[in-house]
Parts: sequence; C-alpha cells; structure tokens
Amino acid sequence: MKEKKRNPSQSDVSLFQDIVLHLDIVVLEREAATGTFRLHGIPPAWWHQFADTADATTVDLSRCSPFLQEYVAAWLHMGSSELSIVEKSGPWTESDGQGGTMTLEAGTLSIGSRQLLFIERMGSGFEQMHTIVQRARERVLAEEVAVKSHRQVETHLLTQLEASEQTKDDLLALLQHLHLAALVLNEQGIITFASHRGLELLGIEASHVIGLTWESVLHVREDDRAMIHEMIRKSLDGERTRVVHIEQPRPIWIELEIHRDPDSPSRRILVLHDRTELHALRQALNEQTSFHDLVGKSSVMLRTYQLVRDVARVDTTVLIEGETGTGKELIARAIHCSSERQRKPFIAANCAGLTDSILTSQLFGHKRGAFTGAVSDQQGLFEAADGGTLFLDEIGDIPQHVQTALLRVLQEKEITRLGEAKPRKVNVRVVAATHHNLSEDVVRGTFRADLLYRIRIARISLPPLRERREDIPLLAQSFLGQISTATGKSIDRLSSSTLHLLMSYVWPGNVRELKSAIEFAVISCKGKDIIPDDLPPEITDASAPSRSPVWVPLAGGDEKSRLLAALSDAKGNRTEAARRLGVSRATFYRRLVELNIQSR
Amino acid sequence: MIQKKICMLGGFAVGKTSLVRRFVTNVFSDQYRTTIGVTVERKSLVVDDHDVTLMLWDLYGEDEFQRLRESYLRGSSGYIIVMDGTRQSTLDGALALQQTAARTLGPVPFIAIINKADVRAEWEIDDRSINQLRERGWTVLFGSAKLGQGVDELFTLLATQMLKASPPSGVPS
Ligand SMILES: Nc1nc2c(ncn2[C@@H]2O[C@H](COP(=O)(O)OP(=O)(O)O)[C@@H](O)[C@H]2O)c(=O)[nH]1
Ligand SMILES: [Mg+2]
Repeated sequence: MKEKKRNPSQSDVSLFQDIVLHLDIVVLEREAATGTFRLHGIPPAWWHQFADTADATTVDLSRCSPFLQEYVAAWLHMGSSELSIVEKSGPWTESDGQGGTMTLEAGTLSIGSRQLLFIERMGSGFEQMHTIVQRARERVLAEEVAVKSHRQVETHLLTQLEASEQTKDDLLALLQHLHLAALVLNEQGIITFASHRGLELLGIEASHVIGLTWESVLHVREDDRAMIHEMIRKSLDGERTRVVHIEQPRPIWIELEIHRDPDSPSRRILVLHDRTELHALRQALNEQTSFHDLVGKSSVMLRTYQLVRDVARVDTTVLIEGETGTGKELIARAIHCSSERQRKPFIAANCAGLTDSILTSQLFGHKRGAFTGAVSDQQGLFEAADGGTLFLDEIGDIPQHVQTALLRVLQEKEITRLGEAKPRKVNVRVVAATHHNLSEDVVRGTFRADLLYRIRIARISLPPLRERREDIPLLAQSFLGQISTATGKSIDRLSSSTLHLLMSYVWPGNVRELKSAIEFAVISCKGKDIIPDDLPPEITDASAPSRSPVWVPLAGGDEKSRLLAALSDAKGNRTEAARRLGVSRATFYRRLVELNIQSR
Repeated sequence: MIQKKICMLGGFAVGKTSLVRRFVTNVFSDQYRTTIGVTVERKSLVVDDHDVTLMLWDLYGEDEFQRLRESYLRGSSGYIIVMDGTRQSTLDGALALQQTAARTLGPVPFIAIINKADVRAEWEIDDRSINQLRERGWTVLFGSAKLGQGVDELFTLLATQMLKASPPSGVPS
C-alpha cells in the first residue's frame, strides 16, 4: 500500500518557525534554477541588514562576508549528493550594523535535491569559549614573559659570574705571573689563595695555608699582629706598609702591603716583600755608615775611614787632597779624634786669601808692638793647638815667605812669635789640606818642594761626590735629619723622584753643595716629603730632559774649555771625561761635535 | 577590478589583527582581544596602475586551542607570515605555518614580517635566525603595527608580487 504523503500541518509550520526563531538561526534554501537563496520562516532581527528590502525572501549573499561566499561556493562545488552533511563553516565575524561585530557560523544540509543553508549567530556559549581561550592565551603570554625575564636575569647573572670569575682568575694569574708573594684573605681573614712566590717566601706548602687564618700562618710579634689587624680592617690600600719579623718556619723579614681586592672589597690581598737581605745589610751597614762626622758607606769612603784610622795611629803630618766641599776638614777632625791627641785642641785655620804678615802673626803669634795694631802680646794658632792638631786648609794658597816659616816649624818643632827672638817649643800635629795639585804648584814654582814632601808624609785624597753617588741617599738623609731638627720642621722623607734627581746631579760643589741644597729644600718644603720642586733650581733644571744635565750654556768658550779640561784630565778618554762631567757619553760626544772639538 | 585574497598567518598575539587594522583603518590598540573566527577586511589600492582590492583574511593564531583550517587558505593569491620579535617561539610556529600554506596554495608569493619593531631591545629573534630565514628564500621585513612602521610597505610589496605572479588578463602590460 502506498503511504499517504505527509503534508506539514499548520501547527508544524509554526512550530518550525518557533524553533528557528528560538535558535537565532536563519534558514535559506537555494533555488537550483536561479541560484539565489530564499528565506524560510521569519528571520531574527540581526539578519535584516543582509536582506533585500524589496523582496524580503530573496537573499543576496554578496552582502555577506566573502567568508560565507567561499563556504557556499565550496559546498556547491562538491555537487549535490543524496544526503551530504558538509562541515560547518566555523565562526566568522560580520558587522552588526550598529558599529559592533557579531560572530556567525554557517552549516549546510542537502535533502534530496533540496539544498539548505543555516546561518547561526554565536551566542553566550561562544562568548564563554572565547573568554576561556583568551584567558588561556593571556596566561601563556604572561608565562612567556616571566620565563623570558627569568632567562634574562639568568643570562645576566651568568655573564656577571663569568666576568667576575674571569677577573678573579686574571687577578690571581697576575699575582702568580708577577712573582708577587701574595695572600688573598676572605672577609673572615681566612687565606683563600697563596701565590707560588708567597709559599716559597714563607717556606710552607699550600695545604698548610689555604683555609687557615693569616694569624696561624704568619707567626709575628704581638704588636705586629695588632698592627696587621688594624691594617686589614682599614685597608688603606697599600698606603701603609710595615716590616715585620716572622720567626717560623724560618726567620725572615717581610714588608707587608695590604690591598683591597678590587672585585670584592671585603677581601684583602696581602703582598709580602722579602726584606730579609735588606734588613741584614742595613744592620751591617749601620755599623759603618759614618765615621765621626763623615757620612758614607761607599767602598771609597770605607777605604778612607780605614786610612784615617791608620794615619791617626802615627803622628806624622798629613796632606788631605780633594775638591772643594768634599769634607777635608771633617777628615782632619776625624784624624784628630781618632788619635792620641783627641783630648787636646783641634784648631782649624784657613790660609786662603791672607797676606803674609797677617797669616804669620795668626799662625805664630806676635809680641806687643811688633807691628802697627799689635796692641798686646798674642799667642798664635800653633801655640793654641799645643798638644793637639792644627788644620791648615788651602795650604796651597800660603805665600812663599810663610811657607819657609812653616817648613822651619815642622822641622824644628818650635815657633817664634813675630817681634820676638826666642823660639818656643810646640807639640803640634799639622794636618794640611788643598784642592790644588801641589805637585803642579811645585813645578810652577809657587810651592816649595821641600815643604810639600814635609807635609805629604801621609796622604789622603777625598773623592768628589759624583764619584761616590751611592752615598748621596745616606748623606741627604743625614743632612735632612740634622736640618729638620735644627729648623723644627718635621720632614723626614725625600720623595723617590727627589732622590733620583739628587743621585743624577753632578754636584760641582760636592757634599757642601748637597747640604745647602737640602737646607734650601727644607725651607721650601710645604709637606712632609721633599719633592723635586723644593730643590734649588740648578738641580731641577739640570735634569730637564731637553737640556744636558751639567752645562747650561750651549755655546761659548766656557763650555768648550770645560770639555777640554775634562778631556785632558781624563787623558783623552772620552768615557772618563763624560763621567767626570757627570753627563752621558752620548751627550758628551754630541757636544764635542757641536763645539767642533777634535779629540784624539 | 582585481580582487586578491591574502591570508594573515602566525601564532597568536603576534599582531596579525593589529597589522590589518593599522593598514585598513589606521588605528592601533594596546588591548589584546584574541581573534576567534575569521574576519575579512577589504582595502583597495593602486598597484602598478591597477586598482586592486585586497581581501585580508585575518585568521586566528594557531595554538593548542585552535587549529588552522586549511580550507580557509584556499583561493589565496598570497599570504603574510607574522612573527613577534619578542617571542622566539613565534618563529618556529611561522616555519610550520609556511609549510602548510605552501602545501595548500603552492608557490604563491608570501612575505614574512617580524612585528613589534618598536620594542627592538626586547627582541629574542636575533640576526642569525633572521638570516637563516632569508637563506631559505623568505622575504623578511621588520615592522610595527603600533607605530605603523613597515605596514603599508608590507601589503603593497605583497600586492605587487601577486600581480606579477598572476598578471591581470586583458590588461596591456
Ligand atoms: N609593542 C607592540 N605591540 C603590538 C604590536 N602589534 C601588536 N601588538 C600588541 O600585541 C598584542 C596582540 O596583537 P594582535 O593584533 O591581537 O595579535 P594577533 O593575535 O596576531 O592578531 C596586542 O596587545 C597588541 O596591542 C606592535 O607593533 N608593537
Ligand atoms: Mg588576531
């Protein structure tokens, strides 16, 4: 039996329309003949913007998003099969006609030859889904940001760590490389590093050092320990040093310098300088850095001291030769003071520039009325020095007549006062000094040969200061001590550059010039140390690099004659001549050429 | 009138929507509203004396919550791959998306843009990776939807390349 075809009743149609309306859905059917879409039922309000006002049931899809058009095209392209359900379109957005947007989704259905298209507005379910996805994505983003900043911090820290490891390594490597004896202490005073040289110096192994406190490694005296503690605490960064004695495992003297580790200010670097040898030397030298008032420890001075001791033991006359300012009188005094005569007078007389009669009367005395102005009897220096020593400086300058008288005194051991006839016995040791070459004076006929032989029984020559430069620090320091005490200024140090200048200057005026330079400097000095600026200009100028250290005039006969004199003194040996002038060989050669001097 | 479909591809929040909005309406928002559902924007421009209407398919960014439907790509004459310079991960995503697009569309023109050039200091994507992309034959631009830098250039360049790839018929060249 043929089944009766079922026609939708009126109630079915309204039910269908109610359902469509309720679902917020648009149902369109495609008319195969025209290819246009026709609306079924009453569409929701949001659909009106797409509907053609003229024919409310015919729909022009070109007003919709190309997205829908593509979806429909794909659907139609598949061809109509018996019953095919095409995948839903997925959501897309359309303008809602009021400035906002709405999200729609389409689906299709083919029933027999009928092709239906549904368009649904996504409602609250979609919004919920959107919110969830939005939140999830935001969380992912936030996490990425967190991870990223975390990673940034990590890389930052890593590079910092690497850099500090690097500098730390650099520092330690440097300490090793410089062969510095160094210990590194952490904030607790525990040794965390000891350089090879440091271990060597202390005579201990690393395993007995690392991880221990410095106190258990450096066995120092109680007061030194307190001082080192203080230095570590303050860490004036090497400004202060201290020489300490370490007894174990082997006795050494070290100078301790304490620095802050530039990488971590609470760590300390102890730099140890071995001062053992210096200490020993200093002790040895303390015994012979001076002799009476003579200061110097150079070998030539040490030889001189010995000579003075030898000469002092005998009672002969002595001739002291040396440039002006070399300390001839001090030698004479030293001889006197080391001799048997030390409790008797030491009388010094300068014979330079005195006339015949004045010198005679000074040396030998006179009777009242012996000459105009001789108002009373007067004892001479020989008598005054009786039993002791008479020092006659610049003996080369005494007139011929006095030379004869002097010779007689030395031979007869008696003097006759001027204006008297009767000689008086004197027991005087004569020590004479000269800056002349007396042999030359003899040749020239200005000095009596017999007198020369008489006074030159013993002979001491004092070297110029430039030939014993190693004594300059000692001399300078000793003068500084004397002068600052005398002036009440507390200056106890010469800066190293000052010392350098003093050491390189030529000192034509010898020790006397050095002493007055120090006097000058002490007066000029404003601080605690003497700096080069405090020195007299001739010394600082001499070292100016643009000029040769000794001679100032670049041209002129004066310099030329000095060069020639130096050459002849050095018997033509240019190196020696340069040395005598206190200039470098190169400078000397250059000046020879510049002044057109032919040597040898 | 020539119409061309262009797809915006790239991970989420790289700035696809922002680039399209900057190009079409010249606005930018710092607010992030993730795109679910396809929005198609139109913009007409003149390229080599031709009026071209670009249809910009702003797709959602692919992630574990949403997969890209390959069907959406169909009919595209070109595509833009967007990366976020501040996120290295968006570069890996871009490589995968490009493969998908090439499989679906064949050798159509595409341009890659690394967005957010206004915060260059925060970039994770470094010159080395960028050079690697270029060695693959990619055109890589830098831009900022926020400042509008490189945006017009991006779309104009792609439109030019698309026209060259398939010249409009009947129009004398
Ligand atoms: N600083 C900066 N932020 C941007 C830029 N472009 C987009 N954004 C931001 O990145 C986030 C994601 O942008 P959106 O366009 O929604 O990305 P989509 O998911 O790829 O569409 C939003 O908060 C935007 O404000 C840019 O050029 N610079
Ligand atoms: Mg978007």
